[in-house]
Amino acid sequence: MASGSWLSIPKGSHFSLANIPFGIISTPPSVAKHAAVAIGDHVLDLHEFASHQGFAELQDFPPDHLATFSQPTLNDFAALGQDAHARVRRYLQEIFAQESAFPGLLKDNNEVQRASLFRNDEVELHLPMKIGGYTDFFAGKNHAYNCGCIFRDPAKALQPNYLQLPVAYNSRASSVVPSGTHIHRPLGQFLSTPGAVESSFGPCRRLDIELELGALLCKGNKLGEPINVNEAESNIFGFVLLNDWSARDIQAWEAVPLGPFNAKTFATSISPWIVLKGALEPFHAVGILNETKLHPYLREVRKNNVYDIKLEVELKTSDGETAILSRTNGSNLVYSFAQMIAHHTIGGCPLEVGDLIGSGTISGLEPGTLGSFLEASEGGKRSFDVSSTSQRTFLEDGDCVTIRGWCGEDDSNTVGFGECSGTILPALKPSWLET
Amino acid sequence: MAPLKSWLQINAKSHFSLHNIPFGIISTPDTPEPHAAVAIGEYALDLQVFSQQNGFSALSIIQPHQKVFSEPTLNAFAALGRPIHRVVREYLQSVFLDNGPFPDVLEKNEQLRKAALLPLKDCKMHLPMFIHDYTDFYAGLNHAYNVGVLFRGPQNALQPNYKHLPVGYHGRASSVVVSSTPIRRPNGQILTNLAAEKKEPVFSECKKLDIELELGCFVCKPSQLGEPVRIEDAPEHLFGVVLLNDWSARDIQAWEYVPLGPFNAKNFGTTISAWVVLMDALEPFANAGMANDTELLPYLDEKDRKSNYAIDLSVSLTTSSGKTTNIGKTSAKNLLFSFPQMLAHHTIGGCPFNVGDLLGSGTISGESKNEKGCLLEQTDNGKTEITLEGGEKRKFLENGDTVTLTGVCGSEEGALVGFGDCVGRIDPAVQLSF
Repeated sequence: MASGSWLSIPKGSHFSLANIPFGIISTPPSVAKHAAVAIGDHVLDLHEFASHQGFAELQDFPPDHLATFSQPTLNDFAALGQDAHARVRRYLQEIFAQESAFPGLLKDNNEVQRASLFRNDEVELHLPMKIGGYTDFFAGKNHAYNCGCIFRDPAKALQPNYLQLPVAYNSRASSVVPSGTHIHRPLGQFLSTPGAVESSFGPCRRLDIELELGALLCKGNKLGEPINVNEAESNIFGFVLLNDWSARDIQAWEAVPLGPFNAKTFATSISPWIVLKGALEPFHAVGILNETKLHPYLREVRKNNVYDIKLEVELKTSDGETAILSRTNGSNLVYSFAQMIAHHTIGGCPLEVGDLIGSGTISGLEPGTLGSFLEASEGGKRSFDVSSTSQRTFLEDGDCVTIRGWCGEDDSNTVGFGECSGTILPALKPSWLET
Repeated sequence: MAPLKSWLQINAKSHFSLHNIPFGIISTPDTPEPHAAVAIGEYALDLQVFSQQNGFSALSIIQPHQKVFSEPTLNAFAALGRPIHRVVREYLQSVFLDNGPFPDVLEKNEQLRKAALLPLKDCKMHLPMFIHDYTDFYAGLNHAYNVGVLFRGPQNALQPNYKHLPVGYHGRASSVVVSSTPIRRPNGQILTNLAAEKKEPVFSECKKLDIELELGCFVCKPSQLGEPVRIEDAPEHLFGVVLLNDWSARDIQAWEYVPLGPFNAKNFGTTISAWVVLMDALEPFANAGMANDTELLPYLDEKDRKSNYAIDLSVSLTTSSGKTTNIGKTSAKNLLFSFPQMLAHHTIGGCPFNVGDLLGSGTISGESKNEKGCLLEQTDNGKTEITLEGGEKRKFLENGDTVTLTGVCGSEEGALVGFGDCVGRIDPAVQLSF
């Protein structure tokens, strides 16, 4: 992507012309939620742009397609399919190109700019899709291995099924929240010491993060009809960053035999701008090698089936100290999203537009590359430095965690996700609750 | 109390007596868009037609809200809250009451009767609610114990957490279907030789397809992120109850479920009965449920409130040759935790709820051999067989088998409160080629 934009886009911006991610905004003039794209430090309001004839030069995009930009979620736009997404994205790149073929529609049109181009601090961001189902996988092999080592002999760190199938659990769609939502430390039951016979009740004492990627779907399948692994990529709308906040003590007490539950459902944060699948095409990469011979339904022809996404986790304490806790890469997955989708539907489970698929925690193997505090603190056994004066084992009240992700080496053409952040607030103790 | 009598001919053994008035979503050839109805005897009262033709003229409280009966799900009606559900149900009972206070509304109104009172057999049933999230609990203590014995022996049958909190997992909302939807046998990875050192699963159709006899409860009042529902307030969040069959692929489950719980073993289909029995209709049958010898934390303590219901449950299996066998009978009393307790536990960390969310009770089993709510228990994980009418044997379900769950409260004829059927037929697995 050689051309720059007539709009000033800072170097290194995640929202270069190579990206064009989609989100849902509201603005002072249009308080009802509607679609937008992010460009540099600006936001193009697609509802306003459409109503000001901004899409006049986009072929084969009838009024009912344009109307999807006025919906309060991106589900209807996503359902138009990847071809439509690609054409809209290319069109918007042309609208913003320095030598735009259609300057009269925005570049040279002050009236349309006033109506539809906002600075990103002028808009409010919302959950970009209506999420009917949220499934969290466990495909970060290094994370699975590191956690296994905390609880078991390293030779048995991974369960016998781990490399044969992408292990997953259904999570709670209602607790997916947009970046910036404050997260109250959850209350719950846990054992205060291992092997205690009575459970304790109170605020979670081992509050954690999980650095993940999320895929949002633009196409589903019918009950009883599995999705083929080599076609599954066409079911994906785009990707976000995802923080699967976790209450480790609550999890340890509740999870046998049915899996994590309240440990996860108090909140899951996602970044607000969906990076379309097409924008990540240049960044396909090979993931963690799986030496197991997979069953045919999981054998993906494409070998570079994950993405080279630089990921970082930053902690900011309530004192204002910041530290990068972790740097790792989105390719640290042993299964691709296509394989997750194929496995999810192999028994006939129906997926739908707007469904969210979490990758599972992404970690490297070394300190400084880990996607959770559980790993960084070796199961809570040792604290790690945040600064010269602060340490952590698990999250403290007032901590703000920000996940960032971006692709590309050329800082004029970075394709990034912006931020997925959340601040931990003290547990809410309703007056009626004795603790 | 003496059974309420209707001017409408209602069979004395009907589960849809005047004491019930369950709500559902129907469509008909004349009105193909799904919309609300109640069941009474062998009829559905089409609430869209009834409301549009002023059937609610004597009930002022519902006047501003009547559009809810034309919605394709009951969510908007449920969101009006328990006080309105109560009043609407009581009004409809009065409309159908013999020598009741509103004879002109329907009894003497032949035109409205023709338009709105439809034979149930002419109605197509739809999922009664839009389900944002579905959670399946595990509160059937006898089931949990029996299954635990099968896999761990009696000493370690129940996990240490079992009596302290209602253990649950998230189900897959998109795979909840209404009664009569065929269920395809799933394919998946199966470990045929569990004892082998090197675990090499095969890929095949499920060979241990099972049922799970459960109750489902729908939520009618939302809760916000970060705000637990107080146990005292939980009942006002609950709309009504259905039967629920949590079809399970036991072999797929055994291989996949460590450490994150059951997944593909469940998400190929979960069937619910079509008529939602309102909490008020169940109230006369309330009881305390199973005693818990563990002291519960305050957020789960219902004190003396009775939130379990004495529902007689029954499972029957009809083979493809048409022979039907009753394969289990038990009571919904066999639950250790109630729906209010499940909701209080589910929200204690701040998980938000929406109108339409579904809670599954977990498999309900009694203590004796004929009271098991799943085939896993009945056949000791396939070690023994059950014998059906006509001599066929079963360990697990076969293609063409139809399983029917039924449930009913009370034994007094003319006053039964039942759920209708929760039915599913097993269809062969998809033939996959790669």
